[in-house]
Amino acid sequence: MCASVKYNIRGPALIPRMKTKHRFYYVTLFSIVLLGLIATGVFQFWPHSIESSGDGGVEKRSIKEVPVVRLPAASPIPERGDLSCRMHTCFDVYRCGFNPKNKIKVYIYPLKKYVDDAGVPVSSTISREYNELLAAISDSDYYTDDISRACLFVPSIDVLNQSPLRIKETAQALAQLSRWDRGTNHLLFNMLPGGPPDYNTALDVPRDRALLAGGGFSTWTYRQGYDVSIPVFSPLSTEVALPEKAPGPRRYFLLSSQMAIHPEYREDLEALQAKHRESVLVLDKCTNLSEGVLSVRKRCHQHQVFDYPQVLQEATFCVVLRGARLGQAVLSDVLQAGCVPVVIADSYILPFSEVLDWKRASVVVPEEKMSDMYSILQNIPQRQIEEMQRQLSLSETLLFPQICFSSNLQEKRTFDVATGIIFGIARWFWEAYFQSIKAIALATLQIINDRIYPYAAISYEEWNDPPTVKWTSVSNPLFLPLIPPQSQGFTAIVLTYDRVESLFRVITEVSKVPSLSKLLVVWNNQNKNPPEESLWPKIRVPLKVVRTAENKLSNRFFPYDEIETEAVLAIDDDIIMLTSDELQFGYEVWREFPDRLVGYPGRLHLWDHEMNKWKYESEWTNEVSMVLTGAAFYHKYFNYLYTYKMPGDIKNWVDAHMNCEDIAMNFLVANVTGKAVIKVTPRKKFKCPECTAIDGLSLDQTHMVERSECINKFASVFGTMPLKVVEHRADPVLYKDDFPEKLKSFPNIGSL
Amino acid sequence: MPLWRRKSFWLALSVSWLLLILLGVFPLRLAVPPGPLPGCSQGWPRWLDAAFLQSFSQSETLPKDAPQLSQAPRGSSCTWGACFDTSKCKGNALKIFAHSPAGTTTEAHRRILDSLEGSRYYALSPTEACLHLFLPSQDHTCGPLPPYWNGGRNHLVLSLYPAPCTRLGQAMVAEASPSLDIFRPGFDVALPYLPEAHPLQGGAPGQLQQHSPQPGATLLAVAEEKGRWRIIDTHASTCPWGKHCEQDPGLHQTHPGETLPNATFCLIPGHRSAASSLLQALQAGCIPVLLSPRWELPFSEVIDWTKAAIIADERLPLQVLTALRDMLPSKILSLRQQTQFLWTAYFSSVEKVIHTTLEIIQDRIWGTSAHPSLMWNSPPGALLALPTFSTSLKDFPFYHLQQGSSPESSFSALIWVGVSSEPLLKLIQVVAGSRYCAQILILWSSEKPPPDRWPETTVPLTVIEGRRKASDRFFPYGDISTNVILSLDAHSTLSTSEVDFAFVVWQSFPERMVGFLTQNHFWDEARGAWGYSTEMANEFSMVLTTAVFYHRYYHTLFTHSLPKALRTMADDTPTCVDILMNFLVATVTKLPPIKVPYGRQHQEAVPLAAEGPGPVPEPQPLAQDCFSRVAAGFGHMPLVSSRVRLEPVLFKDPVSVQRKKYRSLEKP
Repeated sequence: MCASVKYNIRGPALIPRMKTKHRFYYVTLFSIVLLGLIATGVFQFWPHSIESSGDGGVEKRSIKEVPVVRLPAASPIPERGDLSCRMHTCFDVYRCGFNPKNKIKVYIYPLKKYVDDAGVPVSSTISREYNELLAAISDSDYYTDDISRACLFVPSIDVLNQSPLRIKETAQALAQLSRWDRGTNHLLFNMLPGGPPDYNTALDVPRDRALLAGGGFSTWTYRQGYDVSIPVFSPLSTEVALPEKAPGPRRYFLLSSQMAIHPEYREDLEALQAKHRESVLVLDKCTNLSEGVLSVRKRCHQHQVFDYPQVLQEATFCVVLRGARLGQAVLSDVLQAGCVPVVIADSYILPFSEVLDWKRASVVVPEEKMSDMYSILQNIPQRQIEEMQRQLSLSETLLFPQICFSSNLQEKRTFDVATGIIFGIARWFWEAYFQSIKAIALATLQIINDRIYPYAAISYEEWNDPPTVKWTSVSNPLFLPLIPPQSQGFTAIVLTYDRVESLFRVITEVSKVPSLSKLLVVWNNQNKNPPEESLWPKIRVPLKVVRTAENKLSNRFFPYDEIETEAVLAIDDDIIMLTSDELQFGYEVWREFPDRLVGYPGRLHLWDHEMNKWKYESEWTNEVSMVLTGAAFYHKYFNYLYTYKMPGDIKNWVDAHMNCEDIAMNFLVANVTGKAVIKVTPRKKFKCPECTAIDGLSLDQTHMVERSECINKFASVFGTMPLKVVEHRADPVLYKDDFPEKLKSFPNIGSL
Repeated sequence: MPLWRRKSFWLALSVSWLLLILLGVFPLRLAVPPGPLPGCSQGWPRWLDAAFLQSFSQSETLPKDAPQLSQAPRGSSCTWGACFDTSKCKGNALKIFAHSPAGTTTEAHRRILDSLEGSRYYALSPTEACLHLFLPSQDHTCGPLPPYWNGGRNHLVLSLYPAPCTRLGQAMVAEASPSLDIFRPGFDVALPYLPEAHPLQGGAPGQLQQHSPQPGATLLAVAEEKGRWRIIDTHASTCPWGKHCEQDPGLHQTHPGETLPNATFCLIPGHRSAASSLLQALQAGCIPVLLSPRWELPFSEVIDWTKAAIIADERLPLQVLTALRDMLPSKILSLRQQTQFLWTAYFSSVEKVIHTTLEIIQDRIWGTSAHPSLMWNSPPGALLALPTFSTSLKDFPFYHLQQGSSPESSFSALIWVGVSSEPLLKLIQVVAGSRYCAQILILWSSEKPPPDRWPETTVPLTVIEGRRKASDRFFPYGDISTNVILSLDAHSTLSTSEVDFAFVVWQSFPERMVGFLTQNHFWDEARGAWGYSTEMANEFSMVLTTAVFYHRYYHTLFTHSLPKALRTMADDTPTCVDILMNFLVATVTKLPPIKVPYGRQHQEAVPLAAEGPGPVPEPQPLAQDCFSRVAAGFGHMPLVSSRVRLEPVLFKDPVSVQRKKYRSLEKP
């Protein structure tokens, strides 16, 4: 209807000379044709348009159409796996070569169907999971479609499960891959190795030097540092969504949910149940289920029926007992439920054990100790159990809603992980490495990547720490407790524009400090040349002048090559009131606290409850949280951080506003070290804008408003308030003590 | 005209139908752009029939039959669970008995036995032990097997050098840099390759004296034969090692060891004989770059070597060099610091190496209650952080930053009473007056029975009966409910202000001791020994534990980690516990204690430690003697001096007293 109306309106213009009656015929006719065309189009392309959305350019074919490869009976078979293989003996690193991104390139062979001489297929073409796995690799940064540039090759021959495989023919199929070369740099994924009656713990298909990502390695088959131990994927991971559950005591202390358990082990478990009654639950498969109920999703204890895997959430500890194979899919279900796995499988190599610290998330009990399991578990303190549960599970929703913390930014650091539980829990280990085939595939490639590019490897903390710990923890870049030798001395950096007279006085004063080893003047005035060399004061240490390209405040914090000492004294060109004793003492204090800002004038930030934002304070307060860098000692590493690692747009903001570079430095150091500043020596009059107040109160107030704005701006960029408030300052041991002045190391302190 | 109209009408109709039919027959040709040719696919295809694929485990019927029960362990393939019987260790405590070594006792054996005797794991008789130490002789016979051998079960074969004989039954092997082919991870222990003259105790500190990422030029040193190093420049476009290098290695100088501390990276070839270079590099703070090592790195079971070293592939010289050259200063900085931490914590003396080995085995016995990885890999290290204290890292004073937690906000006052006297009541009131005080504990060590009535306080007051030993005051009493302790003496005279301020300062330095009265140590040339003085001075290195804040953990450490001989000695001389505690905390922190102002300093310049009346101008000879003996017992001087006192921000400033928070601190 709509269309015809439209045409009616446009009709006169298109066919002006026709009569209304004829026009009606034509219009109807064209409408029918158009509708027909639309209908045809829709009918023909409807199903495809849905499928093709989102993956443009990817080939669409049917699996039934893959090319068939005939394997002659006499085609070569690879050697059996070489147990002595290590990365440096069996892996060809030359294929990986130099790579600025430090990422290996992975090639996937195209899918083929292999048949033997008689035309009988070697195996089913590909499983759903292996297809997913290859698709995940193909979508990742590792993928390359250029076989000649690849460093790692993944065959599309599915060996995830060994049972349906024809061992010899599968091996032959591997051997005829175009770059096979004894399996060098080839990666095979296998989750269910072995077959009856022995159930070997690694894939039985001869595979020569190929790396194996296997789901049931034992210590005898696992080639440490070469193979990768992976989990056995549980299909329930995608089928069932278990709600997050807070750590804490649960209904059952110990639960066993597996169905195929060796009778002797089942006896042991049932003995435990008989002994501890309510707190232990041993489940088995249900024998009396009505038709149509999925037996995989039910477990029974006598006549009681439980939903699986939901029942796992009712237990603190869940038994993961080896069956015929060491690797069990139940491990994944248990982790998903936030239950602490009790792994009873001697010699089993836990999934991703090369990088994951399973001590933090599981209990391993030797098989022969099974009957003592209960008492072993009871000896674990409840707090530790909660931490384990936490390891398995941590909330995504905890992505620190900074807005809700904004009124209370100061608290973020003290945010106890325990309170994270209140917010609800997701499964961390499971979420990161177990929950999907993709997660498993990517973790495997990451492990191999880390071996090849060790200098770009992911750290223990990144693999193991749940997100909340990563957010709240601080790793101090200067963590080694160390007092640097006094002999090193410090470099004074004076930022100046054109106050030459005052600058020369500062230079003369500072040069009297015994530990000064070099003086660096940063000449920030591009319009004027620094004074002639002969005019500068003659001092006992080298004096260098650095000319800058632009008048920027951040030039003060540039990591100049001229700085050879660890300690840096940043000093303004008008700070002439500090005595030599005070400066020398400041350096001594810095030596004792080399990871902190050690400065003279102290400042404080306060929360303004009326305005609901931060406020800058320069009054005589009992607390300090910042020191001004107009006169402060700090480690030169912070210059590097300020110049290259300052978060957000702070650096540009400071240069644009020509203010607050010192507040930015205070934020940076406190954020990275988690420590407070140290204010040294008593307060005295400084020639800094906010304490002179010569130009009247109004200027002073504008200044305070600007500084407060800086604090609020930086707190929002950092997403937290890193500054720490302390109530102490540092003075010499005998400061103002009843002691002969001439015997004091630093007598001239605090004089105005 | 109607005819023409009808004709055109039918024509249009048939054309449109034709179009429709055509479209219906060849729909794909028209609509879908020609797909990529087979063979040059872009990525893994999205199969049209992917939904019909079967799951890999669907065809799997559950294996009915049984897994075989535990296989009998074979010697060559022992694992911890299979070859070590933990039930022999009562209460999960490792006790090790050393059989007298086979054959002649060598110097190496003697040093091992000496370190063992100082350890808390030492067992006096084989019956109480759950681990038996076997020291093989250095010839190929290994010497006769000890009694109780039992196939090697629960035995540790320990050799500071590569073990002379191969695997012995079910015994664990701890040897220097074992070859990867025979090393059994989680069962054997890899030891460092120690030089002949490695000190038994204490050991030299790390040579890195500053945190800087690059001291001077970026230098690269390559380990060569016999502990020599060759210095090269990474900027030269040469490949520095191996036969893959076709170019001329260029100019290089050969230097002996002393230039090593200047190098940033130390390349160590992969063959086993180069393993001894690792320790040299560690000590020098030179980041070890291990080129495809064929030997297991020392204590790899617990030490995360990726934090201190770079394990690179020797086949990629240019790539490795580029990576080293481009390494971020932040990474270099942290790697270098970690080398120093590892060196001091685990490698600097034979004793540390042996104790670390035992600690690893104890960790295996503990299982889940073992040291978490963070304890092994961050200061002060696992030998000084006892997991028996707590399984939660937040309870320790060292890990607040890494854990994102903060120290507690209330303390327990622990008052040691030797002779009952009047000030005690006053002291209780002063302490209870602090708003941070959570409880008061009276440690009654007097001969007289404690009084029946105690003053009414706002906080709970508990009386503990001491054993009348000086070390009582550092016993980890279960009654202490907070992590912070204010240790006091009945004679201490403090004000509430002082207590409050000191506690607030402690919160900033939870791993250190925060005290009021200090002492100093010095090297006495005349006596050729360490001495100490209680005089007022510009420096201090110890605080008196008669009025001091510290973390409760140090009680556990004092009682469980100090050698028994030292603790017994301290019991004989009461002032000695003070010294001992200061040594212990300094060993852990490597930093001086913190001093806060003490109002009565000038009145009682000499402290409250000694029970006797009146000031004592010089420490008693007994205490002086104790000091030297403690220093000898530690094997090195851990005390560090400080010249700083922390005071309230407005301390003695020319500003109205009303503005000051801790005004009573300034009263004369």
